[in-house]
Amino acid sequence: MATFFGEVLSVYSRAVEEDDDDLDDENEDERIHREIEEKREVHIVWCPEVAQSLEDSGSNTLQCSDLIIAVGTNAAGFLSAYVLNTESWDAVGHVSLWNERSRGSSRQSIAPLPGEPACLFYRHRDNPAVLVCQSTCYIAEDQLFQWTEKVFGCLQKRGLSVMVLSDSPVAEYKTPDYLYGSAVPFLRSLKSSASKGQALCPALEQPNILTGLPAAVLSHCQVHQIPAVLYQCYTDVISPDSITMETYKPALLCLSKLVKLEPCLSADVLRKFAIITEAQSNLYT
Amino acid sequence: IYDRAITVFSPDGHLFQVEYAQEAVKKGSTAVGIRGTDIVVLGVEKKSVAKLQEERTVRKICTLDDHVCMAFAGLTADARIVINRARVECQSHRLTVEDPVTVEYITRHIATLKQRYTQSNGRRPFGISALIVGFDCDGTPRLYQTDPSGTYHAWKANAIGRSAKTVREFLEKNYTDEAIATDNESIKLAIKALLEVVQSGGKNIELAVIRRNQPLKLLESKEIETLVTEIEKEKEDEAEKKKQKKST
Repeated sequence: MATFFGEVLSVYSRAVEEDDDDLDDENEDERIHREIEEKREVHIVWCPEVAQSLEDSGSNTLQCSDLIIAVGTNAAGFLSAYVLNTESWDAVGHVSLWNERSRGSSRQSIAPLPGEPACLFYRHRDNPAVLVCQSTCYIAEDQLFQWTEKVFGCLQKRGLSVMVLSDSPVAEYKTPDYLYGSAVPFLRSLKSSASKGQALCPALEQPNILTGLPAAVLSHCQVHQIPAVLYQCYTDVISPDSITMETYKPALLCLSKLVKLEPCLSADVLRKFAIITEAQSNLYT
Repeated sequence: IYDRAITVFSPDGHLFQVEYAQEAVKKGSTAVGIRGTDIVVLGVEKKSVAKLQEERTVRKICTLDDHVCMAFAGLTADARIVINRARVECQSHRLTVEDPVTVEYITRHIATLKQRYTQSNGRRPFGISALIVGFDCDGTPRLYQTDPSGTYHAWKANAIGRSAKTVREFLEKNYTDEAIATDNESIKLAIKALLEVVQSGGKNIELAVIRRNQPLKLLESKEIETLVTEIEKEKEDEAEKKKQKKST
């Protein structure tokens, strides 16, 4: 039967017993759906010590006072250069997932190679309640909820406070004024209502919105009344770039209260984390 | 009709393609030009070159004729085309008029070329700004700057490229008659301006000078290092003097 919109609907005939065929089809459909769901499932793989701590705690949660999440290559590069560069951080886990853009999950138990887009967790040795998460891989919309549920499900809610650093292209920043080049890159902030302190930069103006992992994390924190602050950096560079990474410096003020940070960074260290393709790009001289 | 020309006016009078071309210029590394009394100086931030790449082929400073040279910032390929056309025009001028071009003439030629590309069908503007320096036949030193829109102006000192605003502010404060009193001082002013924005100092600076009736000379890295050391020593001496003044 053809409809007005050109779709063809199969008509069920009550005359013929088609049940058996239908069941098989449905099973096959269900099977395919289930396979896709399993493939797209988000798994968190913790290192043995942390897995043990999770088991030992009655509620399968870790005690965490501060969670710092970096989403995007510049945010991750900033944390690598300014925070994780001191030798007191341990890699304690990673998230393995599969979607069209991040095909990591074929090696679920093996940690991602350095430099690959991935979602990694680090814990401070002297202050194990401080966790850092660097997320440089793409997490699909249907996986965001799972990600937040599983990650926050491993952390104790009491006393938890979250900071998110996220990159965004400045082309997506909507403003009535013409943005001159010298203003970019810049920071904007968003907070959950449970967050009390002052943000270190202007708040994100309407009608700009957040999407993706930062939005999922902030929504989760808002719903569960966890104090969270997000710093979104708008930049005009596609690849990781040292100037963009330096824009996150105001966040260091909050971080330095928690952990000992690299006091002064040489330009060489920063450049190590900025992408080396700068040299190979001869487009601009 | 609207898809014939790439540069069409917006309702509020902007030529967005030209303005975006100016953004492309900001992606190039910094170049600074100084007009001294008997010398013109061009300084550029050297881009880091890939390991296997020949450094000689990555040049931001080029001669247009014996007495004129330019530095550019922006799209490398666009610069090559503009430079080639300018070089041909310099020789064509010599042949027809039997005189070398004035710096203003060749600047105007380049600027007209750039403007044509903001008003033609299907062509995008050139994504480069240029600093053109040289001496006219009467011995006057000149410095001009062009941009993707095809405007050009004469300057005493200017900068283009990535951190041009910072360098220009530095020059506005430090371009004085004393600063350009001698050739050496003018060169040092260019280096000081670049050191404001260049990472890791002298090794990433390339400098070229034209003196009256002399061809373009590229300074060797040793010379630049010596000047950078001189500048740093001068800064230290300044700081010492200030400290002593404070304590007395």
